[in-house]
Amino acid sequence: MVELNHVSKSYNKGKVKAVDSLNLTVNPGEIFGFLGPNGAGKTTTIKMIVGLLKPDTGTIAVNGLDTQKDSLKCKEMTTYVPDYPAVYERLSGMEYLNFIGDVYGVPKTERLQKIEKWLEVFELTQAIGSPIQSYSHGMKQKIVLMAALLPAPQVTVLDEPIVGLDPRASHHMKELMREHCDQGKTLFFSTHIMEVAEKLCDRIGIISKGRLIASGTMEELIKIDESDESLENIFLELTEK
Amino acid sequence: MKKLFSLIRVGLKANFGLSVLHHRLFKEKKDIWLVPLIGLGVISLFPTLYGYLKLIKSIYGILKPLNQQQAMLTFSILAGQFLVLLFGLYYVISAFYFSKDLEILIPLPLKPFQVMLSKFTIILVNEYLTIMVFVIPVIIYFGILAKEGFSYWIKALIVYLLLPVIPLAIVSLLVVGMMRVVNLSRKKDALIIVGSLLLIVVALGLQFVGGKSSNSKPDSEAMVKFFTSSDSLLKQVGAKFPPSIWATKALSGGLTGSGLLNLLIFIGASLVLFCGILVMAEKLFYRGLIGIGEISARKKALSQTEMSRMVSSGRRPVKAIFQREWRIMNRTPIFLLNGVLAVILVPLIFVLMVKTGSGKGSGAFLLYALASAKPVYVILAAACFMTICGSLNGTASSTFSREGSQFWMSKVIPVSPREQVIAKFLHSYIISLLGIITACVALVAIFHLKAVACAVAIVLALLAGIVLTAAGMIIDLARPLLDWTNPQKAIKQNLNVLFALLANVGFLTVLGFLLFFLAKAGIPSTTLLIALIAVLAFLSLFSFRFLLEFAERRYREIEV
Repeated sequence: MVELNHVSKSYNKGKVKAVDSLNLTVNPGEIFGFLGPNGAGKTTTIKMIVGLLKPDTGTIAVNGLDTQKDSLKCKEMTTYVPDYPAVYERLSGMEYLNFIGDVYGVPKTERLQKIEKWLEVFELTQAIGSPIQSYSHGMKQKIVLMAALLPAPQVTVLDEPIVGLDPRASHHMKELMREHCDQGKTLFFSTHIMEVAEKLCDRIGIISKGRLIASGTMEELIKIDESDESLENIFLELTEK
Repeated sequence: MKKLFSLIRVGLKANFGLSVLHHRLFKEKKDIWLVPLIGLGVISLFPTLYGYLKLIKSIYGILKPLNQQQAMLTFSILAGQFLVLLFGLYYVISAFYFSKDLEILIPLPLKPFQVMLSKFTIILVNEYLTIMVFVIPVIIYFGILAKEGFSYWIKALIVYLLLPVIPLAIVSLLVVGMMRVVNLSRKKDALIIVGSLLLIVVALGLQFVGGKSSNSKPDSEAMVKFFTSSDSLLKQVGAKFPPSIWATKALSGGLTGSGLLNLLIFIGASLVLFCGILVMAEKLFYRGLIGIGEISARKKALSQTEMSRMVSSGRRPVKAIFQREWRIMNRTPIFLLNGVLAVILVPLIFVLMVKTGSGKGSGAFLLYALASAKPVYVILAAACFMTICGSLNGTASSTFSREGSQFWMSKVIPVSPREQVIAKFLHSYIISLLGIITACVALVAIFHLKAVACAVAIVLALLAGIVLTAAGMIIDLARPLLDWTNPQKAIKQNLNVLFALLANVGFLTVLGFLLFFLAKAGIPSTTLLIALIAVLAFLSLFSFRFLLEFAERRYREIEV
């Protein structure tokens, strides 16, 4: 579970307000899609949840623990996939997965079982022993996703996870995300692909100019403006204001 | 031409981070605290500059009656050009082949020579700044002391602007040739390291060959010739690299005759080599560059047993982070050249210089004399040498900067900053240890240090190593450089590495002065050594604890 209470963040000594008094709750077992135009505050919000940025005001809690006060415990429960796969390029894929397994304390049998399965699914079996430097963008994205799911975290935060994946990998990724949440885990992800959000998410939040302007299930969002039946139209309508 | 200038302008802005600095200083007002700090740093350099100028004046005073004063120009020019050769190697490899902006530049409608020339110019500007301290004071002060006329100052400007061109062009030609071969192979990283080492060995080899020939025993006839000819000393000094003789003669030889001739030779040689670069750029640059970043790994599916063997059974986080540091450092050529290889190379160069250079000449003889006079000085000198060899690398002072855009991982993993910093400290300290051991072997090989003296010196160096490693890490943690696109920037062009180096020198100087005054006050040698060990032990503990506490705070503050 992730809870944001009156979270604000600004840049340039308060001149640019990136996130403005944001309140949001994502429940266990839920896939939450976070939508918004470029520069709306999605990445800033995500970075605050995982501890890369410090909120100016407000609190963020992961499973009831404050991310500032109990940062280490929150990190044990959370994994993150950034919008660009900036990973240790000089390590091999396996070395990177081992590193993540070591720092999150994943037992060997569990590691082996998951890695074997996902390598097959993401078609990385032949590349896993090679340096990440030799991977394509999509392959890097896959290895970061595998690393994020390896510790079976309570909360997974993903910034544009589908970008760079081929249709097959994207399909497997969505299945994995669903499977993960069906075990009672929370998944928070930002995307620009309306179709993915519409089909995959249990609830959707739309952020614009740092403020949450709409939040709810697809049905609830349609009720806001009954003339629009697609998420794309709702999104365009809401973010234009 | 317009394209080239625009390329150079953008390159310089990016290289010095001018736009970013302007934004951070005046828009975000984040780094405003750096302004007084840099001001203070500049002011604190004045006493050193004053001392340096006094030294130049006294050397001039010694050489003038012998009519050998031009040799000081040769010496400073030679030092500058040697620095260009040494630093140029790193600069050229990383700027020509590993800067990320190349991916943007290659598809643009630009000719290879334009891209390479813009990079060359940027390195040239960096080199002007690198050699400034060594060359400018000597040229200016020489002009004033020798009461040189207007033409001297014009020539001085020309000589200074052309000074790095010849050595940098030589390095560029060698590197461009080397990379053409490297790019043919699959093991590119390994070849780059081997190639760079080979270039260093060749450069040093030439030095020693020059050194040997110029150090032959002087006979009486040669001595007479030495004192009667005004350029004998400059010839001896400059024998290793003739352009330094041309530059000196151009500066000191007036506007006609030898002065003009040597100026023309100097300009001509610079031009020829510069043209060589242009030709090489068109023919070989892109062939060596395109695809250098592509690593074609041999892909092969793993068997069940191989997979089980490769999946680790769980290491403690400190060990996992240590291993990550070790692997990334040693697998990135530019980091490896500045880390493990640097600490091994520096003492080795020292051994070679003493063994093949002056032999039982001035430096070595002085140490032998010191050893017989006061054994404590030998211990202190050995400890100082070991400490310098152990800390003269950028490993500790770039440990956070090296993570660059991947620092986000250190922020999100569930490992406390304390544990992360312990792992990083261990990594930096082991490299330092490697330097101390190599230095110790070098000292034993040359000076046949006694076991007791060696042991005490090692203890001192190990303790000082802790202080300096912690200090380097603290400096880097205070302001890590994380937004680099070229790994060179994280270690060779990182101000933190320079600040740490200054801190190292300052620390050793203060300790040296303290010991000097204590020894003068008549404190016995044994007491002095015990006190020094105690002080260093206390400082080690204090600096390490401070580092851990500082890390807890800084990891929270640093935003990525």
